Order: sequence, then structure tokens, then C-alpha cells
Amino acid sequence: MTNKRETRIILLAGALIGLIAALLVPLGNPGNMGFCIACFLRDTAGALKLHSAAAVQYIRPEIMGLVLGSFLLALLRGEFKPRGGSSPATRFILGFFVMIGCLMFLGCPFRMILRLAGGDLNALAGLIGFAAGILVGVYFLNKGYSLKRSYTLSLSEGLSLPTISIVLLILLLAVSGLLAFTEAGGGPGGAHAPIWVSLAAGLVVGALAQYTRLCMVGGIRDLVLFRETKLLSGFAAVFVAALMMNLILHLGGRASFFVSFEGQPVSHTDFLWNALGMALVGLGCVLLGGCPLRQLVLAGEGNTDSTMAVLGLVCGAAFAHNLGLASSGAGPTLNGKIAVAIGLATVLLIAVMNTFQKGKK
Amino acid sequence: MIHIATFHAHIGAIRCKRDCERAGWKARLMPVPRSLSSSCGTCVRYEGDRLYPCREMPEELEQIATERDGKYVTLYRAEEGEEAWKALSD
Repeated sequence: MTNKRETRIILLAGALIGLIAALLVPLGNPGNMGFCIACFLRDTAGALKLHSAAAVQYIRPEIMGLVLGSFLLALLRGEFKPRGGSSPATRFILGFFVMIGCLMFLGCPFRMILRLAGGDLNALAGLIGFAAGILVGVYFLNKGYSLKRSYTLSLSEGLSLPTISIVLLILLLAVSGLLAFTEAGGGPGGAHAPIWVSLAAGLVVGALAQYTRLCMVGGIRDLVLFRETKLLSGFAAVFVAALMMNLILHLGGRASFFVSFEGQPVSHTDFLWNALGMALVGLGCVLLGGCPLRQLVLAGEGNTDSTMAVLGLVCGAAFAHNLGLASSGAGPTLNGKIAVAIGLATVLLIAVMNTFQKGKK
Repeated sequence: MIHIATFHAHIGAIRCKRDCERAGWKARLMPVPRSLSSSCGTCVRYEGDRLYPCREMPEELEQIATERDGKYVTLYRAEEGEEAWKALSD
């Protein structure tokens, strides 16, 4: 596949993903949250009663769809390869703190783009912090950062997250009485598209992301490292397509679109902490090798290092809500600010310890 | 002959580029082409008369491929081990 063809495909895929994400909102998902990997993992953790925040509890079929879409396409293309063993505990901790950063900002990098496309100017603060975090991460990459190589593993290892996804779907469809659900109108967890629509959207986006390797972190990283805009063009296509669809839906009276800092759905206006939260996400994701969406897609391909990162994200979400670390529309909490500061220090320490090692060639 | 080497970590690619330049070979860092791998790391595209600029197998190496008729053909994968490496690099 030539570079130009790869770019065309990633532009088309990004546009389709942007359209799907924008359409999920009038179908029931919360505002500017057609997709949000952090929010959806947090909601899923709540449905499983890993945290007790009543406003954010629902098993999001989009997550299962993303993993299974990637899994099925990887299987078809002969790219499903169980691999792992590259510093799994470190990846879990990085995933944990990436979630703390996401819940400070109220969204993952994917939702940051969707918030921008929805007119939420607070996401600009997130984007500035995100890019700064990535630049710091790239500094460590160039200085020799490595979590060491991965190894071929057994099939059962590689199948772990796809299997968990199927089990969660069964729980949602067959034994939902065991789970906790936010009631309609009770918070973001109560706003969702129909199950089959969410699942189909996840499957399509998961397959597209597997095929194109779309990654919100990889775009900026590749631009800095190689002056290469291919992955970033996918990022831009998501933004443009979602923006256009939001405008069409607004004109058609199916959704509201307004450009502002104040009054945007599931967001707050604290510039500094929006930026710092996403700086933690940008740095953590460069050290992990991809954004939360990419971690789900890689886990679908059999990469258990990414499965560990996803489990870290889920654990981070549970802690964030149990300990009052997550922001709300009212703004960040003191506990959240302390957690982000600890997160930045921890992630920097991980970067330093895995970059400047004794005896390294 | 044009080669493309992919690595488990970015630093592997940086070292490879440095070794190529020491050997007087043209080399540049770039993202791994999609048709070569579903991973999105860094690779090195270099032009040399041997498989790799140094004899020892680099720790972070994943695979080495070459271009034939517009397609990538894998010449060596790290899983093949030291014996295969020696046979190919001599």
C-alpha cells in the first residue's frame, strides 16, 4: 500500500468515524460523547459496581464493539497475534493514571476532538495540554525510553479481552439484573443509544481503527518525530466530519450546536486543570504507545500489554469515582488535582527509570 | 538493496540509523508502513549491501523486510533466532 493510498484510506475512515460519533448523540448518547473511551470504560466499571457513582453506570456496548471489531478484522487479515510481556505492571499503572487525567478533563483524546467539533472551547485547553504531554513523551522516546520487547504468547492470553467483551455483552443482554444502571435523566450513564446501534457503531469503528491504525496520540507523535501527517490527517478527518454532521443535525433541529466555554455538555471551564489533565494523558499515552482507543484495538489484535493498559484504565476509573477524583460540570475537585499531580510525578518517574538505565547500550 | 527494519521500541530504530550512518549507508527513520505491520512504531529504511549494518543481532529488532515489485517481503524475523541471523548476515 503506497503512502498516498494509506492517507486516502485514513481520511475516509476518519470521516466515517466522525460521522458515526456525531450521529450517536441524537440516537441517545450524552452530548459530544458519541464515543469516549475513558467515559465508557468508567460507565462500564460503574455498571459492574466497581464504583458507586450512580450517575455513571452503564455497560457501553461501543467498548465491546471496538474490541470485537478489531479482533474480527485482525483474525480475517491474519493479524491476530497473541503477544505481551513488555512491562505489564508498568503499563497497568500508566493506564491507571491516563484515566485519572481523562477524568480531570472529562474525556479521552477521542472525546476531546468530538468536544471541539461540538463547539466546546474548553477542549482547546485540553488539546494544548495533550500536545505538551506528547512533546515531553517524544523527548523520552528520543533519549531511549523503552518498556522492553514483547513476546509471542499463548492463544488464551491473546483472547482475554475479546472474551471479556463477549462476557460483558452476555451480562448486559441476559442478566442485566446483576448490574447497576443509571436511570434515564439521572446522569450521563442514563443517556445511551439503543444497544444494537451502539454495538454496531463500535464494531465498525473498531474495524476501521484496526485497519488504519488510527491513534489520537500517534498523529501528533509522528508529526513531531517524522514530519509525517498521515495519522494526524485521520484525527483531522474525525473533527471535520463530526463538525459538519453536528451543524447539519443542529440545522435540522435534531441536536443543539453552540460555540462557547460555558454550558457545554459534560465539561468544566477550568483552563489550567483541563490542560494538566490532558498533559498527563498525552505523556502517559506516548509511554504506552497509543491512546485509549488504540489500546482497545491492540488488545483486540491479541496484544496483552494493551489489555493490561485497559485494565489499568478501568481500575483508574473506579478509584477516580470512589475517591472523588473525577471532575464534574462544577469543575475539578481538590482530590482530583492532587491525583493529577501525583500522576504527573509518577508517569515522569516511569519515563526517567525506563530511559536512563544503567548498563543500557 | 533497500531494507526496512522494524523494532519493538523507538530507541532500536535510532540505534539502527546511527549504525547505518557509521557504515556509510543512507538511512532514514519513518513510521512502519501499514502493509508491513499492524503496529504503529518506528522503522528504518536503509540502503546497504548486507542485511544489517552490524553483525550482532540488535536487542530491539522485530523484523527486516525488503521491497519487491512494490510489495514488502520479510527477510528475517526476530523469532527465527540467532542461527538464522548469523546465516543471513554473513
